[in-house]
Amino acid sequence: MIALVIRELWHRKFNFLLGALAVTVAVALVVAYVTTADAAQRETVRVTRDMGFNLRIIPRSTDMDRFWAEGFSDQTMSDDSVGKFVRHTNAFFAFNHLVASLQRRFPVGDRDVILSGLGPTVTASAQQGRPMGFEIKPGTVHLGFQVAQRLGRKQGDKVELGGRVFTVARALVESGTDDDIRAFVTLAEAQQLLHLEGRINEIKAIDCLCLTADQDPLSILRAELEKALPEAKVLQMRVLADARARQRRMIESYAGFVTPFLLIACAVWVGALAILNVRERRAEIGVMRALGFGSGRIAGLFLGRAAAMGVFGALAGYAAGSAVALRVGPQIFQVTAKSIVAQPSLLGWALIGAPVFAAIALFIPTVLAVTQDPAMTLREE
Amino acid sequence: MIRFDSVSKIYPTRAGEVRSLDGVNLEIRAGEFVALRGPSGCGKTTMLLAAGGMLRPTSGRITVGDESLYSLGPAERARFRARNIGFVFQMFHLVPYLDVLDNVLLAAVPSGLAKAEAGKRALGILDRLGLGPRLSHRPADLSTGERQRAAIARALLNQPRLLLADEPTGNLDPANEREVFIHLREFHRAGGTVVIVTHGNTANDYADRVVSMESGKVVG
Repeated sequence: MIALVIRELWHRKFNFLLGALAVTVAVALVVAYVTTADAAQRETVRVTRDMGFNLRIIPRSTDMDRFWAEGFSDQTMSDDSVGKFVRHTNAFFAFNHLVASLQRRFPVGDRDVILSGLGPTVTASAQQGRPMGFEIKPGTVHLGFQVAQRLGRKQGDKVELGGRVFTVARALVESGTDDDIRAFVTLAEAQQLLHLEGRINEIKAIDCLCLTADQDPLSILRAELEKALPEAKVLQMRVLADARARQRRMIESYAGFVTPFLLIACAVWVGALAILNVRERRAEIGVMRALGFGSGRIAGLFLGRAAAMGVFGALAGYAAGSAVALRVGPQIFQVTAKSIVAQPSLLGWALIGAPVFAAIALFIPTVLAVTQDPAMTLREE
Repeated sequence: MIRFDSVSKIYPTRAGEVRSLDGVNLEIRAGEFVALRGPSGCGKTTMLLAAGGMLRPTSGRITVGDESLYSLGPAERARFRARNIGFVFQMFHLVPYLDVLDNVLLAAVPSGLAKAEAGKRALGILDRLGLGPRLSHRPADLSTGERQRAAIARALLNQPRLLLADEPTGNLDPANEREVFIHLREFHRAGGTVVIVTHGNTANDYADRVVSMESGKVVG
């Protein structure tokens, strides 16, 4: 029987190769997707993270009218608040990338700037403490676009703030926000300049998006904060939070839609070719019936074909999928390119999955072959 | 050997029912050479396929040997056919991707004939039919007469008791036609039963009996 299957494949090479090509495409698609999935996931996280903070945790006693007018809270809380917050069990369930800050208007030259002191980024342990935005070294200042323009300062220049000389680490590009009139220094230096040692007036954060679609994120964030830090309240920058959530859901649902669609298309392709194969072999099936071949043997001829197609498709598809992922993946996911590596375990799965895939695609043609009335065929022929 | 008891076969069509066999009663004895004759569409091929267990009649009973053919399940009927019945068709129906020898050996797969024995028998039959030099040729490389002889060899491999041939000489020239009949007569003389569907008169010279059919009925 195996020899019969192999000879038939060799005889109808073109049909077999077209079918095997469909299986190859299906396997390559899955292999390329899985190989790049981790990088894609991490890249999406990075892209959405880089949209910036979308949560602002401020002292509960803040006058909100003044807060929105000034752009920061006129109240303060202890800078131990961040530590206290992260020690709370579920802190990172809803919040991530916590940055303590102290912001106040501060005279520089003949005008005020918003002096912003930023603490180190506190993240969930899995995030490995990657900082948001830029890191500030003691003795340096990052000048907003407008401030740098007004003072005529560029990177490496000196600038005096409250009697202390700071080196300009960066003159920031125009942001189109109030960051353009800010001067960023370390939290400790801002506290010293403002004579507010040990105090902060805001913790910036990002919601961790571990929430399901049916949960109200803000009420959960508030409930968690209430337990961990009752002296504070949280504001969510809704547009930014929604954009982050939409971006992540979009990338997940896109892959969820495209992959099954293409797999079904490949299965239909294999199935259509197999139907042509059955039609072409009607007389052969008829005469085999006349010789006494049972349904099992007839089905075996077609399932043997599916197995051969699957093994061929698995090997070729794994090679093609890995090659595409390794070649094209780093160009798409530039930030997380290093996480794209060939996964040999996928070959094993492909060798199991591809013949099953081909067998499913060949199910209807095989049933057609088995149920075909040999008498009708032989009479017609 | 074969017995038809009130056998009818009705095909439903868009234009209404077509009665291909209409209450056929016929007995063919073991070792008999019978030619079925009649105009196109009179039910000859239907009768042949029904006798071979390939076409279940709408009503009636067909017995081959001691077996009521359609009382058997599909798998048992296929096994019975593999061991007891040989088929020869007008269009030969050789498998295009197998050479002559493998086409003949194909019949050994369902019958369970041992490989060595099958090989020995196949070579003997092919040699007897004059196909010894053509063993490794594909059907496409054979003449029509050679193709039909290869098909006869395949039908004979399992040493069946019954050989059913559906217009086996319909595509052959007179010389090849005679040759096919000679091989069928050899099988018959060795004790086999032959039922052949034919349009021509050549069968009269070889058959023990000619059965005439018309509109699904045996008329003579």
